[in-house]
Amino acid sequence: MQALLARRNIVAVGIIVFAILPTFANAYIVFVANLALMYILLSVGLNMLLGYAGQLAFPNAALFGVGAYTSGLLRLEFDLPYWITLPAGAAFATLIGLAIALPALRLRGLYLALATIAFAQAALWVFGHWNSVTYGGAGFRVPPMDFSPLPLDPSTGIYYLSLIIVLVAVPLGWNIVRSRIGRAWVALRESEVAAETLGIDLTLYKAYAYVISGLYAGTAGALFSALLGIVTPESFDLFQVIVHFCMVIVGGIGSLWGGVLGAVILVGLLEVLRTFRDLQEIAFGGLLLFTVLVVPGGAIAMIKRYLPGWNEPLRRIGKKR
Amino acid sequence: MLAYLLMSGIATGALYAMVAIGLVLVYRSTGHINFSHGELFMFGGFIAYTFFVILGVPYFLSLILAVIGGFVLGVLSDRAVYRPLIKAPPLTMVLATVGFSFFLKGIARYFWGSMEGGDYVAFPAAMDPSPIPIGSINVFPQQLLILAGAIVFVVGFTIFFRMTRAGKMMQATSENPTAAYLSGIRVERVYTLTWGAGSAIAAAAAVLMAPMTLLSPDVGFQLLLKAFAATVLGGLGSMPGAIVGGLLVGILESLGGGYIHSGVQDVSAFIVIIIVLVLRPAGLFGVRNIRDT
Repeated sequence: MQALLARRNIVAVGIIVFAILPTFANAYIVFVANLALMYILLSVGLNMLLGYAGQLAFPNAALFGVGAYTSGLLRLEFDLPYWITLPAGAAFATLIGLAIALPALRLRGLYLALATIAFAQAALWVFGHWNSVTYGGAGFRVPPMDFSPLPLDPSTGIYYLSLIIVLVAVPLGWNIVRSRIGRAWVALRESEVAAETLGIDLTLYKAYAYVISGLYAGTAGALFSALLGIVTPESFDLFQVIVHFCMVIVGGIGSLWGGVLGAVILVGLLEVLRTFRDLQEIAFGGLLLFTVLVVPGGAIAMIKRYLPGWNEPLRRIGKKR
Repeated sequence: MLAYLLMSGIATGALYAMVAIGLVLVYRSTGHINFSHGELFMFGGFIAYTFFVILGVPYFLSLILAVIGGFVLGVLSDRAVYRPLIKAPPLTMVLATVGFSFFLKGIARYFWGSMEGGDYVAFPAAMDPSPIPIGSINVFPQQLLILAGAIVFVVGFTIFFRMTRAGKMMQATSENPTAAYLSGIRVERVYTLTWGAGSAIAAAAAVLMAPMTLLSPDVGFQLLLKAFAATVLGGLGSMPGAIVGGLLVGILESLGGGYIHSGVQDVSAFIVIIIVLVLRPAGLFGVRNIRDT
């Protein structure tokens, strides 16, 4: 019985459910599932930076916004097809991620947190005030994606596009964290001095963490602008950061699959409380605090304790960091 | 124009300095930055709003009640967040305090957010708001009150810190917690007092600021960023640095907003943080990292 609940089986069932969902669920459920796919990308990207490389940085929501603005504006102003706007959004966010990495590489711990929070707020200010390009605080509407010649309506098209991207991105992330790069991240997270002694180029591998998480966040942002059809600055404020953090922490920091689970579960909570900003803040803030205080390993630590087949390499289980 | 901008810059800068003092106080004694400090500030403002506007208590009494409320809230947040995680690394503490800050913000929005329609509530002026001409410039009475209040609180706080037994215990703990513990100081109680005192002074700043601006659940985070800029500019962990940094950020903002563009006012704090951290992380007063974070 327990073997049936191994990760391999759960993931397989998850993929099948996501794949056939549009055939029986209504449009709203498909929309929420699509949001879940997008948050999986964000969570996997943030987990690499925060959980694996141990960099206490807040740029993700801003890079998410950069991806959304870039792809949305290209679609709106130049009427480009999705196979150009999507990679362009992802690429530009990756580039900005690299640009943050350069100063951020000098900073550690609290200083890094402060600098990246300032960056996130500055980016938000640019979204809201660069009226001639970003349409200011009111934002702009994005024309729906056109999937011709494929016979897909826009929402189904975006759904399957997101699913395909997730099916590429999550295994890619899983391979990255188990590769030389992932091992280097964990080493430098545990001790920068020890990692350097082992011949790990700290600057290079930290830069990898920023760039890769920027790529994931930018891709998610590009999907977000197409999915919602409207881009406004407040979609990328600090609350968005909290949502991403919550997904990573509640799922299990430093565990890729934990982050995926956290994203899928918490999208439900986010949607239920959609119209109640105050309750969203109480729920997500409280959940983040509760998890850090009571279950530091997140949900995945519980799962690993009771179910076989969920083990991951390079992962300390349930230990306070 | 210049004199007017300087005056308003100094007044807001004094507020930033007050918020920054609480941040530095907690950082010096615990080695952690309290990311929920802005929300403690915001709560202080709403406590005063409840007494002053809803219950009709006089302004100065509301100020004192808000300071007491802020102290209690600081003590509670020490018990709820800091004490259980006392040995945790910075990453955990940042996540916990960020989570706590949103928890508080949500609660404030729930109770006070929809009071006057939108998220903002107006805090009426404590006294006749018409400007007083001093020399060639007009000064708002509330600005003078802010300055007077800031001076009273900072001086009072310095006396407390330097002269009283509790203040000396706080200093000793921040110098060396182990040695303080060995000489019979109950270090954990000192931490509790530190959180309470920092939060109380933030609450006072909020009550002084509220009549000049509007009060909203989101105001805490804005002030937190300004206080970050002040502490980073002055040198993280330096008390005089926090005061000078706060004033400088206030003046910079006011001049930038007046001479360059009004939008600069919002963004100058972030620019200060980024530039200082990249070029000179030790800040103006060059305090070395108390604890390697």
